[in-house]
Amino acid sequence: MNLASRKLINRVFTSVGVLSILLMAATLVVIMGPIVERGLGAFIFRGTVEHRRVLLQQFGRGDREALEAESREVAAARRPVYDLLEAFEAQLTQGPAELRRQYRQPLNELKQHLQGLLGPFPGKPEPVLLRDRYGETRWDQARARCDHIVYAEHYDYSDPSRMGLLVRTPRAEQFAGTVLEPLFTYVPAHLEEMLRPRWTCYARFLTDVSYDSHFFGGIGPELLGTFYLTIGAILFAVPLGVVSAIYLTEYARPGSRVVALLRTCISTLAGVPSIVFGLFGLAFFINTLRVSPSKSVLAGSLTLGLLILPLVIRAAEEAIRSVPETYKLAALSLGATRWRTMVTVLLPAALPGILTGIVISMGRAAGETAPIIFTAAVSVGQPLALWQTFTEPTPALPWNIFNLCSEHQAVDEIRHVQYGMVFTLVLLVLLLNSTAIFLRARISRKLRG
Amino acid sequence: MKSRWMIAVVGAAMMVASVSASPRAGAQSPAAGTSAETKAKIVIDGSTTVGPLAKAFAEYYMSNNPGVNITVSESGSGNGAKSLVNGVCDVATLSRFMKPEEFKAAADKGLLPVAHVIAFDGIAIVVHPANPLSGLTLEQVRDIYLGKITNWKQLGGPDQDIIAISRDSNSGTYETFEQMVMDKQKIAPRIEYVGSNGAIRQRVQSTPAAIGYVGFGFLDRTVKALPVNDVHPDQQSVLSGRYPIARPLFMFTNGYPALGSHVQQFVTLYLSPKGQEIVESIGFVPLTKY
Repeated sequence: MNLASRKLINRVFTSVGVLSILLMAATLVVIMGPIVERGLGAFIFRGTVEHRRVLLQQFGRGDREALEAESREVAAARRPVYDLLEAFEAQLTQGPAELRRQYRQPLNELKQHLQGLLGPFPGKPEPVLLRDRYGETRWDQARARCDHIVYAEHYDYSDPSRMGLLVRTPRAEQFAGTVLEPLFTYVPAHLEEMLRPRWTCYARFLTDVSYDSHFFGGIGPELLGTFYLTIGAILFAVPLGVVSAIYLTEYARPGSRVVALLRTCISTLAGVPSIVFGLFGLAFFINTLRVSPSKSVLAGSLTLGLLILPLVIRAAEEAIRSVPETYKLAALSLGATRWRTMVTVLLPAALPGILTGIVISMGRAAGETAPIIFTAAVSVGQPLALWQTFTEPTPALPWNIFNLCSEHQAVDEIRHVQYGMVFTLVLLVLLLNSTAIFLRARISRKLRG
Repeated sequence: MKSRWMIAVVGAAMMVASVSASPRAGAQSPAAGTSAETKAKIVIDGSTTVGPLAKAFAEYYMSNNPGVNITVSESGSGNGAKSLVNGVCDVATLSRFMKPEEFKAAADKGLLPVAHVIAFDGIAIVVHPANPLSGLTLEQVRDIYLGKITNWKQLGGPDQDIIAISRDSNSGTYETFEQMVMDKQKIAPRIEYVGSNGAIRQRVQSTPAAIGYVGFGFLDRTVKALPVNDVHPDQQSVLSGRYPIARPLFMFTNGYPALGSHVQQFVTLYLSPKGQEIVESIGFVPLTKY
């Protein structure tokens, strides 16, 4: 091959390499960008007076007097809305039945949106569901709601050959000529005075309990549940895994058939789909062994522990094997027993590698959904105290993300919570993995001397 | 030395994690440090249709009985029944009645499931709001799911293939649908199956040519519920029996719960005025009328 074609091949290879790295970076940005942007929206957003009311009434946080003063001003700004509605309803009751029938449906729709925006009408009994007791807590949602108040949406089915087209008509036209007409200019013009948006940093999102199935509050129980499950899995998998690795590297006869079989089994175990672990956990830990009376953190931890066990064994084996043979020989020649050599020389030297493996498997355990569906996870629950983890199930981040997006009956209103959960989980796993990278960097520095 | 330092770092990180976690747990569960009586828990598993109701009941009950931890999972009626039979939940929520084989499995284990009807529900046939259709007959719905009607044009709509969505066979809603709409005939193989009511709604709200079925609690502005046999799906038509696809929603317990116990108070919550209000605000049909 001549020089020119060799150079060409080289250049093509380099550019393909650069291209694939750029592609990967772009994918990462495309995936991570929205996660970070929307996820941060759960923590930092323009909170309305309703948000502050939730915090004060449900969590007992905030300045009561300031909120009361604010509430008075807000109520004054809202007064005209209620006055207009009252006047319109009076007009309806005095007017002909025809008028009542014409406006019954549009008025109901409007009132629902107003309730959603501002909370229950004054003087009405307090609704039993928490979500109906407050107006919009976030400014972005309040503005979307305001849009629904100003414009009515319906579909135009006039062309039978295609699906209907969305038509937005100003509600002011629907109510033209009635006393209610000014409402549709008043609401958008005075939205700020009625809701008082203020930039809010809701850091307690991470620790607050959620109220009314995630409509209000934070993700405290989920985060705590994830911590419990991850640490439980580590507690179970690490001792077992490290001991197995020691056996495989130091005590087992090298080249023996049994050891080869064991290794194959471990590799297979690492490749088993996680849902299989989940079902196994349900059948074995809960239905057969009955480690707990129901799903529980304990059963979930055991299942997750099984899942990461092969990872831990592999990492520990690798780490022990990479300790220079001379260390071991030196210790043995000084008269140390095999056990002493193991504990005082090999394990300390292998520890950074083992730790790296542990931290990586923590990341894996924290993010797994399938193994905990049947063994530990529930869609709502309180944060657990330590002793409750043996008997009670818990919400956990990965499962609740899935649950919110697929099963929640009003998910469109609480997307920010879902994004917040995703962001937190990604951050958690990222944090664990960077810890592992940091550890690994230290090892390589150490090995270089 | 270095490795010892590293143990310290990781150890400290774990300590921080557990310490920052524990006061939260302590603060939120008033049960901490009090008598065993208040450490009560109720584990609920089952239907995704009853899910919103169970969650709202749980919220209400816990707010009035601090110290009781009620957990709710929504894994489908079939799983709820299995959990109850295996004794791993206290209350199973079902959107259908228990099947004979489930009763038999329970009886073999010495359990006796007791049914509590907590609300009525209709199964609404939903389409995208852009769909011009203003109603269907029960036969038309059946024909869609049998694969006999495959295009909206056959129903007077635009020329688009129908994308029919169904729940999976673990679902009580699926079984009710199969019984009341399909007349025991097999749903066509080309129908798309999804795992929850919420998933059906999401599929329909994002797909103009889709049709699906959900419990009343999952209706909102983003989907259009079609009248069936000219009967509009609402509270009155379900209560009067005119709406053709209606059913009771159940909570099952193992035997009748001990009087005065948390479980007993919980499963009878629907009888109270507040319980009725919750049922109504979620969108289901209450049994009581105050």
